Amino acid sequence: MQREVGTLPLAPALRARLAAAGFQTAQELLDTGPCGLSKEIGISREEALEALQVVRQECQGDAARTAGGSGATRKCTALELLEEEQTQGFIITFCSALDNILGGGVQLTKITEICGAPGVGKTQLCMQLAVDVQIPECFGGVAGEAVFIDTEGSFMVDRVVDIAAACVQHCHLIAEAQQEEDLRKALETFSLENILSHIYYFRCRDYTELLAQVYLLPEFLSEHSKVRLVVIDGIAFPFRHDFEDLSLRTRLLNGLAQQLIIIANDHKSAVVLTNQMTTRIGQSQSTLVPALGESWGHAATVRLILHWDNSQRLATLYKSPSQKESTIAYHITSHGFRDVQPPAVTHSTEGTELNPRKRPRTEEGKQ
Amino acid sequence: MDWDQFDLNPKTIAALKKADIKSVKEVLNLSGADLQRLMKLSSADIQCLLKTVSHTLRRNSMLTALQLYQDKDHFTSQHQKLSLGCSVLDNLLKGGIPLVGITELAGESSAGKTQISLQLCLCVQYPYKYGGLESGAVYICTEDVFPSKRLQQLIDQQHKLRADVPAEIIQKIRFGNSIFVEQAADLDTFQQCITRRLSLLLARGMVRLVVIDSIAALFRCEFGPAQAALKARYLQTFGAQLHSLSTRFRTPIMCVNQVWDQTASYSTGTGSRVTPALGITWANQLLMRLMVSRVSLPRHSPGAASHCAGSMRTLNVIFAPHLPPSFCYYTVQLEGVRGIK
Repeated sequence: MQREVGTLPLAPALRARLAAAGFQTAQELLDTGPCGLSKEIGISREEALEALQVVRQECQGDAARTAGGSGATRKCTALELLEEEQTQGFIITFCSALDNILGGGVQLTKITEICGAPGVGKTQLCMQLAVDVQIPECFGGVAGEAVFIDTEGSFMVDRVVDIAAACVQHCHLIAEAQQEEDLRKALETFSLENILSHIYYFRCRDYTELLAQVYLLPEFLSEHSKVRLVVIDGIAFPFRHDFEDLSLRTRLLNGLAQQLIIIANDHKSAVVLTNQMTTRIGQSQSTLVPALGESWGHAATVRLILHWDNSQRLATLYKSPSQKESTIAYHITSHGFRDVQPPAVTHSTEGTELNPRKRPRTEEGKQ
Repeated sequence: MDWDQFDLNPKTIAALKKADIKSVKEVLNLSGADLQRLMKLSSADIQCLLKTVSHTLRRNSMLTALQLYQDKDHFTSQHQKLSLGCSVLDNLLKGGIPLVGITELAGESSAGKTQISLQLCLCVQYPYKYGGLESGAVYICTEDVFPSKRLQQLIDQQHKLRADVPAEIIQKIRFGNSIFVEQAADLDTFQQCITRRLSLLLARGMVRLVVIDSIAALFRCEFGPAQAALKARYLQTFGAQLHSLSTRFRTPIMCVNQVWDQTASYSTGTGSRVTPALGITWANQLLMRLMVSRVSLPRHSPGAASHCAGSMRTLNVIFAPHLPPSFCYYTVQLEGVRGIK
């Protein structure tokens, strides 16, 4: 193998010794053998054996990867990436206006952050997504499972039951209207108990537990390969107290963001985080901004801010690589996250792009 | 920290001891690269260390939502809630106060917050079957003196309020004995109270309700506008400590809050002109927010006028993860707080 010694996952001190002794490629190491190696660089035979084992494993791993499997150093063209993204599923939210501004729904392999003041609906949206990710493919869903990491204790299972029951009901109505056999078959496994049994719930009581849980996630996701959604509700709560050293907090959050990006990519899952809002005192007035600071703003690919306008709930797409910034109105009903009006009423082409406040007064009167 | 008990390579254990790393928290606070440098091990060894340490911390911590739903155990079930002692109010809250988390009760003065709090202190002492938690309560007063006369009135009239409970059960409960009253008029005393007295009482299982009347009073005088950051830190610290106690002992924490005029430039969803005090920093710590207010109904409103000895009040659900925004009417009678259908 032509792998350079400097790229092998050995202890830094060992690598330095190998470089000083003149070894350049992995093949040279393998040819020398453990006895020769231990004599050349002055380490014990056990250490030499261990090092050679690591080298052999790495080389085998390389061979498997270049043979065409997917791995960390895969190369592909932008066209291939585009095609892959276009076939990527979206997790719908049942609020068609929100799905539209997101470009179809919550995207897999991306991190979406939902920010908002208390009570505006962040946890409701997370619970809705944990149910919606399980919708069978013939109904337009991704047929996945969900991991829900709760740091605030706001996951009330009774509410999830309401949302799941409404979702099942909705799918039953579609199946009856369309009278197709595969729809009815899919519904046999899409029941309330099934939905609840595929939401994996973790309760983390402080940031150390959260960090540990995220270290264990890749293994969990490998065992439960159908998981397509990881929710962390909320990411801000454990990090906003107890930190005398803010640079430690920034470092931990950055590390967390990196791990989540890797998880989202490797396991083709959507990662959804909820964040709190904090006040920023400006010149003449105070505004609400997402918590955890400016550098955290770079962690998420897509940022959604939920807020109020008098008593109407609004969602603003604040940051997205492919969709433009827009605001829509939504409702939270007993069935979950829904549109403000049934989609048939709004003008389909322009309704989602107009700011709801600019809609003519007569439509609001009709509500 | 005894690293030998972990399932680790002896080389890793030796490196941990040499690098003077003393706790799981320290290991997790360092990044993979930092650990590699400190302990002089390969990245594979470090990954193994992180996974082992995380496993030990998070052993057996997964539940499915179905298991949560089917859990009927008194202590762990989410279905278990603390009743308010009145079926109308319990219906509004779908059972009562959730056992884990901070619930806030905000309102103008004399709207009925203390009345509801006292009622809860009595309700918690009933058996599980009647919506209680078979334990006592801690009442932390931060401004006024504890209303012991009113408490005695309520105790004497419990049989009238709780007609659903057999008389012999009510007679057996020594209500006054299980209510622990603490006074904490300033922040330091309050801090001491939470970290020492409260944890002690909770650890001994003597109480399963904490009432703080009121949280706003602690912050009224001591902080000027220039000290907003310090105030926010205190609020976050208290919130986190109370939240942690609530989670560890599955004990509801009821915080009474006052209201101030709505001056925020951002909208907060309710149409009212008053908003609970302490701002968004405190609101972020809450699981559920309730608001009470006095309401003056027109004289000819049917049914309601015949009930009330005083004026009508409303109990509003402002936000909760499991409840829609809703409200109901109630009155304060001699025997306690009663909802009106």
